[in-house]
Amino acid sequence: MSKIVSVHSFRGGTGKSNTTANIASLLAQGGARVAVVDTDIQSPGIHILFNLNETEMVHSLNDYLWGKCEIKEAAHDVTGHLNTDVKGQIFLIPSSIKAGEIARILREGYDVGLLNDGFRDIVQQLDLDYLMIDTHPGLNEETLLSIAISDVLVIIMRPDQQDYQGTAVTVDVARKLDVPKLMMLVNKVPGSLDFDDVRERVEQTYNAHVAAVLPHSDEMMTLASSGIFSLQYPDHPIAQEYKKIVAEISS
Amino acid sequence: MKWNWKQLWNWIRGGGGEYKRILGELKDGVDDIRPSEVVTFSEPLRSTLNLAIRNGRMSLTEFSTQLEIEREEAREIAEVLITRRLFVVSSLSNEQETHYETRVSAMTRPMKRPPIDLLKKLDK
Repeated sequence: MSKIVSVHSFRGGTGKSNTTANIASLLAQGGARVAVVDTDIQSPGIHILFNLNETEMVHSLNDYLWGKCEIKEAAHDVTGHLNTDVKGQIFLIPSSIKAGEIARILREGYDVGLLNDGFRDIVQQLDLDYLMIDTHPGLNEETLLSIAISDVLVIIMRPDQQDYQGTAVTVDVARKLDVPKLMMLVNKVPGSLDFDDVRERVEQTYNAHVAAVLPHSDEMMTLASSGIFSLQYPDHPIAQEYKKIVAEISS
Repeated sequence: MKWNWKQLWNWIRGGGGEYKRILGELKDGVDDIRPSEVVTFSEPLRSTLNLAIRNGRMSLTEFSTQLEIEREEAREIAEVLITRRLFVVSSLSNEQETHYETRVSAMTRPMKRPPIDLLKKLDK
């Protein structure tokens, strides 16, 4: 039985794409067939983490939404890009990075229903164990759709006043959409804070399970999205936390 | 037919109260049902539609059970959902059972005109 996993945050810059890429890669490393869809059409970026450059993008999610190709044709096998032993397979459906194509989406919009159809089709066509959706921050029809059809929702936040309030809205909406499994991830936590205290406060505030509290990491900043952190630093405490999240998702 | 307490209560109140309320709620709108609209529906309509959307399909029997209304009432509500393009009658339907497939639709809200001329230039 395949699972749809959405990774979302109310505000930008929380680490959605990094988290999505790390979870997806660890799932694939463990033998799963995984596809990642970059639905952050206005500001795509996850392709960088998978080292998929523009010239390799034969088709993108934009092409599918405009009826130029089937969803499967926009799926790029990036397993070989991980540069490590991977038992499973990982595909990326990137959003276009071309300025004109992003502009067209902004200008014309698109049918959210096509995303719905595309998600279901790609799960069947690629015989996926997991479909991971890297969402656009905030709430709009696309993100609500992603949440509505997800089996698992990972909500990411930083220990920041702006994130606290917005995350409350996201959690509320997720509850109204009856997401079967909701987990919170507190990211980029300064080392000076007590992590157990952060976890407890977040759990109490949102009455939701906190899957991980991840520290701000100089190593991750230095990697600068040029690869998948948990594959490059498998023994790092952050990688260990990602593995726990993966175990929860697959349970 | 075995009734649950809610159906019995509706019957005592003059029948069809819940069904009429749900029907009225759905007929308040005319456009395709958007994800953001589902969030605003009252119970048990919201959770029933959430289930149908997540599974991608739902039978009339299940729909009626989830909404706790009579089968024919559920069928009428499903008809409204078809006109609002959330439900499509599945090819799996037969004389005994009607099956529906769900498809959340709706355009993202396009702007009436390009926000700035720069977007036109980017196209070239």
